[in-house]
Amino acid sequence: MAEPATAPALDFLEVELPEGFNDPIGEEFEIRPMVLPMGPSHPAMHGTVRIVLKLEGETVVDADVQVGYLHRGFEKECESGTWEQAIPYTDRLNYNSAIICNLGYCLAVEKLLGIEVPPRAQALRVLASELSRMGDHFTCVGAGGLELGAMSAFLYAVEAREMLWDLVEDLCGARVTNNYVRIGGLSQDLREGFADRLKTTFAKVDELYSDVDKLLTANRIFVDRLKNTGLLSKDRAIAWGQTGPVLRATGVPYDIRKAFPYSGYERYDFDVPVGSVGDNYDRFLIRMEELRQSIRIIEQVLKDLPGGPVNVDDPKVRWPAKTRVFTRMEELIDQFMLVTGGIRVPAGEGYVAVEGANGELGFYVVSDGSGHPVKMRCRSPSFANTSALREMIIGSMIADIIPTFDLLNMIGGECDR
Amino acid sequence: MSGANFPQRRTDPVLPRLTERFGDAIVGTHSQHGDETAVVARDSLHDVMAFLRDDPDLSFDMPTDVTVVDHLPRTPRFEVAYHLTSTRDLRRIRVKVQLDASDARVASVKDLWPGMDWHEREAYDMYGVTFDGHGDLRRILLYPEFQGHPLRKDYPKTRRQPRLGIEDPG
Amino acid sequence: MPGSVITVRRDQAETLLARIYLWEIVKGCVITARHFWRNLIGYMIGRRRTFVVNWPEEKVGYSPAFRGMPVLVQMENGAERCVACGLCEKACPTDCITIFPEEVGDGIQRRPKVFDIAIDRCMFCGLCEEACPEEAIVMSRRVEVASITKEGCLWHKEDLLTPASELPIRLGHIRNGYDRSPN
Repeated sequence: MAEPATAPALDFLEVELPEGFNDPIGEEFEIRPMVLPMGPSHPAMHGTVRIVLKLEGETVVDADVQVGYLHRGFEKECESGTWEQAIPYTDRLNYNSAIICNLGYCLAVEKLLGIEVPPRAQALRVLASELSRMGDHFTCVGAGGLELGAMSAFLYAVEAREMLWDLVEDLCGARVTNNYVRIGGLSQDLREGFADRLKTTFAKVDELYSDVDKLLTANRIFVDRLKNTGLLSKDRAIAWGQTGPVLRATGVPYDIRKAFPYSGYERYDFDVPVGSVGDNYDRFLIRMEELRQSIRIIEQVLKDLPGGPVNVDDPKVRWPAKTRVFTRMEELIDQFMLVTGGIRVPAGEGYVAVEGANGELGFYVVSDGSGHPVKMRCRSPSFANTSALREMIIGSMIADIIPTFDLLNMIGGECDR
Repeated sequence: MSGANFPQRRTDPVLPRLTERFGDAIVGTHSQHGDETAVVARDSLHDVMAFLRDDPDLSFDMPTDVTVVDHLPRTPRFEVAYHLTSTRDLRRIRVKVQLDASDARVASVKDLWPGMDWHEREAYDMYGVTFDGHGDLRRILLYPEFQGHPLRKDYPKTRRQPRLGIEDPG
Repeated sequence: MPGSVITVRRDQAETLLARIYLWEIVKGCVITARHFWRNLIGYMIGRRRTFVVNWPEEKVGYSPAFRGMPVLVQMENGAERCVACGLCEKACPTDCITIFPEEVGDGIQRRPKVFDIAIDRCMFCGLCEEACPEEAIVMSRRVEVASITKEGCLWHKEDLLTPASELPIRLGHIRNGYDRSPN
């Protein structure tokens, strides 16, 4: 197979040195445009990404965004294990909202299996997803403040996130690597008293939210850095495959929770915030508003939480209940069959998208009927959103890269997989 | 604060219109689990994709995903799967092209949607499928010196690549 | 479908007070000062703990659902509960468990001759515990597993054995909270 042609986008890296370069301070030193590599580890960027900038003064003329520093072979790893064994790996996609990644994968496999989980499991999945989403948005706005000099806002946002993560730990046993959703259900039911703990936590989170809001939203120094930077028009955002807050900032009300409802999202009453300009300030405001909407959803979930089991009653899909495994022969055999052979997923293919905190998180799975996936593809929102970063920063100043990159909220693990 | 409404989701199928327009170029169709899928002959992929984007009735304006499936013992070995979304009608379609291992090339659709750029680069990086006319087909997630294409089924999971030293930048 | 599309308000920073900015400075100072005084006074009178935990002198409190490193449950007679069936080895996504079984007591009973966990590969996912049909491998509350040598990261059966009396929270969680309600 022929190798592709050499990269034209990197042409500007080979800068012709003018004659008499020996004296870099002398007047001969005139290399234009200047090439400045930014990253891979830059203190003001919260992802491991390298941007090779071509500068004319402080204006960005061209840029080459290079990702892949966190590539861990996620898809290869998943394709070599059973269907169940891929779930812990999906935790490692987005460290902020691992449960949403769990959920997307499990929904895709459930689509191939043709099963639907009981109503209680659906409601708990929504609850856990929204807790994760809040953690993600708090990190994004907090880190955005930090990178633009607002340290206090970051501390308050992260404090709120830690409290939410403590709730998530109570839900599933780990703060970050949750491993909560299972194919055909959930790993565990709610612990007793969760609603009370959630209420206590939310009272504090509300307070911290309003502190962050008061510190940032109308603060001129912060707002002036965000307004009219990282602009992307509506048509271009769609053509670039942008999703999540980046797309909604341009005014397109495309939210998977509304467009292709999953896990019972159609039952809950929540609004979708959109922007009007498509700049960083809109993205920031949308994230702040989505935090409020997530709280609304969680309150609705807890208000009428259905009872019943959290797992499908299907010994070919879900591992049987622990106490029954200890005491009964049938369930013991089922357990052995399922663990050693894995779930037999019927041959076929399916694509399921969920609304991740950064946009459309899609899973495309292909099965040949065996216990291992043939293909397990994760369409990550960060990857698609970062691909348009070049267009967002061309023509802007270097300093505008920081808020643009931050409000994209590129998560290295999700982008590079 | 306005109370604008969401776009309505259209439920009528896309595939009949596609087969009617392209006929033999559509090799096969199915709607397994509700995902409408069209398998397209390789040479007409670009036309089909342009039609899907530009036809006022379809208007699949958002590129969602490009990936490759490697069915190793089977021929044709590779299957490039494109996912498109219409933000107006809230519909999705999957377009697939089947490729032989000996001639794994397909026309790039980067000129239709710029968002396909990185996805195609990733597909090239991971599977070695060449997208003709892409123009900037570099490795994206792996480093340029990487040997082979790791997501192919004949690439062993445990294979190690030589570790590169830090090059002298000067 | 309830809910609607709302447009975010961009004019919040356009008011006269926000443009003058003096008010914003005062507001920011009040907020940060309030946090400072509340924490300080609360700490002095012992009503409010600081958010920072001085590890390792202080430990973080974990939820009963917390998953730490996997350990082997030791019965009261000192033997392990494990019967070396190998399900955890199968379920482990990272292949960090190694088991070699042996037979004891006239060949009726099985137990692991070797039970090693490469803790540097373990990602505390808890699938081994879920797969175990004997409640023999459980996730303890232990998280401090760092070692400076490769050998120190390989935990053998003797290191992993933990008396059941030391694991009441987790065993209770497996039996009650963790248990999936009978179908």
